[in-house]
Amino acid sequence: MTPPDAVAARAASPVAAPDALAADGSAPHLHPSAKGPAATARKYYKIFRASLVERMTYRGDFLFGTILRFLPLVTTILLWQAIYKGVPGGEMAGFRYREMIAYLLLTNISRMFSSMPGLAGGIARDIRDGTLKRYMIQPVDLIGYLLSYRAAHKVAYIVTSFIPYALLFFVCRSYFDGFPDGWTLAAYAVSLILSFLVGFYFETCVGMVGFWFLEVTSVLYIVMTLNFFISGHMLPLDLLPQPWSGLLKALPFQYMAYFPAVVFLGKVKGSALAFHLALELVWAVAFMVLARGLYRLGLRRYSAYGG
Amino acid sequence: MTTIGGLARYLRLLGHLARYTLSRELAFRGNFLVKVSVEVLWLGILAAFYRTVFARTQMVAGWNEDQYFFFVGCFFALNGLIETFFLENCNDFAELVRTGDLDFLLLRPIDEQFLITCRRIDWGTGPNVIMGAAVMVASLVHMGWHFDALKFAAFCATFACGVVIAYAFMLMLTALSVWMVRNQSLMEMWWLFTSLARYPKEIFNGTWAAPLGRFFTFFVPILLVVNVPAGLVVHTLDPGMVGFTLVATVALFWVSRRFFRHALRSYRSASS
Repeated sequence: MTPPDAVAARAASPVAAPDALAADGSAPHLHPSAKGPAATARKYYKIFRASLVERMTYRGDFLFGTILRFLPLVTTILLWQAIYKGVPGGEMAGFRYREMIAYLLLTNISRMFSSMPGLAGGIARDIRDGTLKRYMIQPVDLIGYLLSYRAAHKVAYIVTSFIPYALLFFVCRSYFDGFPDGWTLAAYAVSLILSFLVGFYFETCVGMVGFWFLEVTSVLYIVMTLNFFISGHMLPLDLLPQPWSGLLKALPFQYMAYFPAVVFLGKVKGSALAFHLALELVWAVAFMVLARGLYRLGLRRYSAYGG
Repeated sequence: MTTIGGLARYLRLLGHLARYTLSRELAFRGNFLVKVSVEVLWLGILAAFYRTVFARTQMVAGWNEDQYFFFVGCFFALNGLIETFFLENCNDFAELVRTGDLDFLLLRPIDEQFLITCRRIDWGTGPNVIMGAAVMVASLVHMGWHFDALKFAAFCATFACGVVIAYAFMLMLTALSVWMVRNQSLMEMWWLFTSLARYPKEIFNGTWAAPLGRFFTFFVPILLVVNVPAGLVVHTLDPGMVGFTLVATVALFWVSRRFFRHALRSYRSASS
């Protein structure tokens, strides 16, 4: 069975469209006449707020899911404990047991920011069933709307899972050498925000493929399954033999799990850290430009069937 | 006689449903091939992961590489059966509750648990059973295993028990949707829950992990699902554990059915 991100792609819920939010009491009131950056910011803030309310509707299920999410962490810790018992010297590719567990815990935080379940599938579905035209007749930009929507989901998830995660990290504090210094923490925060942007724009690009192919679910299965491994979610990329390790570190997927974790652990420092943060920003911008370009190109051939 | 007649009727019905879903699946052959290739990819990723691990160590929790791959194959095949027959059906249950469409299934003159959990067969995950079996056979050949009829029979029996135990847990997880009107995918929930069954139970070692391992072996026996069939083939046959697995299977199936029916009684149609 494929990992959660891939199954989420399979069972992707449709992206709530602006019309759906308009039925809500806290719906955005979009005035076509409103112009300027302040009005635009207000508009996307309202989308953010409505999405947050929507996300919090199923609180019981949300909490239950969060608790279940800890089960793989427990088994992962136990598995690596068993693996390290047989490792000569107690070190694998520069990772001692404690660092490995800390790394695997931190990749969950990375994926909390960078994974976008249902995003690409939702875009492709909007294209296929014609509901994408909403974004063409309303003063809402598709990508801007989705960014606000996703940001709200992330905020809701981070807020509701903060206590369980704080508890988990408190319980697992022995795997960490205390908090890193202020600069490392700042770099870590930046790497997480950029990982959100890389993840968001990458999945948006995948979803845009729906303009050219009627069904992209199949592509999504493959991309998400592969991403689970090549982003470093399963194990640090350093453990893989060459040339795989070097190759995967040259790809943008490492920024979705591996890179933020090794930043926190202090394994990337100084000029290398600055270089990789800059490169992460470049990848985020590159995917943003690509997503915008694909959207523009796609709209030229979009026929708005159905809806 | 009535029981046997009823069983034959349900088997016939399952056959018809299987044929119907196969004809639907074959209408989208490309999609079917992609689904299979994703599972092949995932098995490849798992193989890459464990090859990386075993390149740096000889044993993991008392399992060498061949034995561990047998365990992985066993899990893959068993989970493939669960996915093929039940997972998608159970995954749809929350939506049936939310929309009220469950009414239409409850009105049919057959057992509601059978209809809800077996009505569609996901042929796309069927090859997982073959892939898992291939991994098991390859591991046994590589380790030079000699055929033992008793162990083989015990493996078949406990493998079937593993399927029933996993099904029982899935049914209970599904039934929760009646109260929670679940928004998240059961597929994800199931993936998280089965993370307990994905590794050898020997990893539950240490001051806090050993009691946890016992809890998930004897009270919430998810650890029995793969560990017992895989362990008796590549390690030793423990008759006590096999007996306990059989008892746990019957008990869990009974409890899950009661729980599911209780959940259905709490269902309030949302369609009207």
